[in-house]
Amino acid sequence: MESDQQPAAEPAIRTHGLSKHYGSVHALNALDLEVQAGEIFGFLGPNGAGKSTTIRTLLGYLHPTAGSATVLGMDIVSDSVGIRRRTGYLPGGIAIYDSLSGADALDYLNDLQGRPPVRRDALCERLQMPASVLKRRVRDYSRGMRQKLGVIQALQHDPDLAVLDEPTEGLDPLMQQAFYGIMDDLRDEGRTIFFSSHVLSEVERICDRVAIIRAGRLMALQHVDELLARRKRTIHLRWRDGVPDLSSVPGLADVKVDGDRLSATLLGEVAPFVRAVASPMLLDLTIEPARLEEAFLEFYAEDEPAEEVRE
Amino acid sequence: MNGRLLLQTIRWNQSRLITLVIAGFAWGALIPTVYVSFSDALRELANSGAIPEQLLNFGSGSLFTLPGAITLGFQHPLALAFLGIFAVGTTTAAIAGERERGTLEVLLSRPLSRHALYLTVGAAVLVLLAIELVALLGGQLAGITIQGINDQIDLGYLPLVFANGLLLWSAFAAFGMAASVSFDRHAPALGLTMAYLLVNYFLEILGSLWTDVDWSQEYSLFHHFNPTEILTGKTDPMDFVILGIAVLVPVVIAWIVFPRRDLAAPD
Repeated sequence: MESDQQPAAEPAIRTHGLSKHYGSVHALNALDLEVQAGEIFGFLGPNGAGKSTTIRTLLGYLHPTAGSATVLGMDIVSDSVGIRRRTGYLPGGIAIYDSLSGADALDYLNDLQGRPPVRRDALCERLQMPASVLKRRVRDYSRGMRQKLGVIQALQHDPDLAVLDEPTEGLDPLMQQAFYGIMDDLRDEGRTIFFSSHVLSEVERICDRVAIIRAGRLMALQHVDELLARRKRTIHLRWRDGVPDLSSVPGLADVKVDGDRLSATLLGEVAPFVRAVASPMLLDLTIEPARLEEAFLEFYAEDEPAEEVRE
Repeated sequence: MNGRLLLQTIRWNQSRLITLVIAGFAWGALIPTVYVSFSDALRELANSGAIPEQLLNFGSGSLFTLPGAITLGFQHPLALAFLGIFAVGTTTAAIAGERERGTLEVLLSRPLSRHALYLTVGAAVLVLLAIELVALLGGQLAGITIQGINDQIDLGYLPLVFANGLLLWSAFAAFGMAASVSFDRHAPALGLTMAYLLVNYFLEILGSLWTDVDWSQEYSLFHHFNPTEILTGKTDPMDFVILGIAVLVPVVIAWIVFPRRDLAAPD
């Protein structure tokens, strides 16, 4: 990490009323967001929700219609080059120069970055991109190999902030695990990652906080743990000779009884429920953990469908 | 301006450049040979009245004099192709092509301003055009030497011919760059620049073949690259001014437009 890292109090990303409109289409609508230095921040939303618009506005590809934002303490409009000097970016569906070999492409992009590729060897090893593979031209790479090259080019120069747009797209499960391991290491080393995805399980797996965006609006911004704690767990139990009376258990709802089987949802603490069913009459009990999918779907299930915009 | 990008842009055009330098030199060397072989016969043909003289001209060039032959060498469709590959092909592909392929994404994720990108690619194209023009002129010089007709022109004017030619092709390159920064796809940028080049070419050729509309040549940029006048000591400074303006206008447009453009994610 370079010594010019932003002060600890300065958020890595801060947006204030950031908006991007295309005529009547509001791709991004008054986004207020703070990403703290040293966290892995998940940015969730379906296609067309405004994830890529946000990223592209932060990195200077798009000009904000209204509002302001800073990245690493620098203004996104007046100091875009300075921001990109200290960030690493993996665009969604990355394209890399087909005519170059993987190694030449990494060299070229790193030369343009102007920082030594201190992480390249480790990343290549973790993502199984040996020298023999890097010698081949990019045009001969599979989609997964291109994506791995994209991850390496974004992180090889050890950026202060990595902005990764759908980073596991095209990676096989083994490489996804390797990628998660890299993210864990980066978190341990205090790097900041801004991570856009619509794969909820991976956001749940690696992110500290998550923002949910819908139709260009921020719907939620919470710690992943808090978000999950607010979700309803699903409960299935079997009871000997009928089912117990659980009406006094706080947070229990959607109770359905089928013979000796009971299913319900539980919001909040689990302990009162467990105390209520702690009996020799209990034959079987399953408490399904709250999934981020449910939290996510809740934000999207209610209103009209998100307006599709080209990000 | 970015040195690494400049080097890479030239490197990407390396094999094309080598081919075109060889072809340009060979074509240039052929011109004096053709002039020596056919000028007398063509003069007789014109004098006999069998064919009107203007039909033996081509743009501002002809085979009646060595300076005219040199001009012909530059205005022939072959020379147009040699130089147009860089002035039209390379420029329009530089931004719009990268954008269409998606590689502009990773390029602009580096600490590189759009002005720096524009300037660097523009400089690379200028270098490529200069090398190709030197090859064409060098070929002509070799042909003139081989034919032993050095006494028919003042070789001291050749740098001025080079500068005039570079200005003409820089004007088309600047137009190509302006088109390139304005479109998300290569085809419209290429089409528009090709149309601009061909309209200019058409006006020049039409005016030379049909004297009733010779005024059309004044509206062609090709008419303001005139080695015949330069090599006979009649350089018109206005030609340089007009070509300078033709370079400047698209440069200013691109300089303003490119940084202000929203670059949406590629499809």
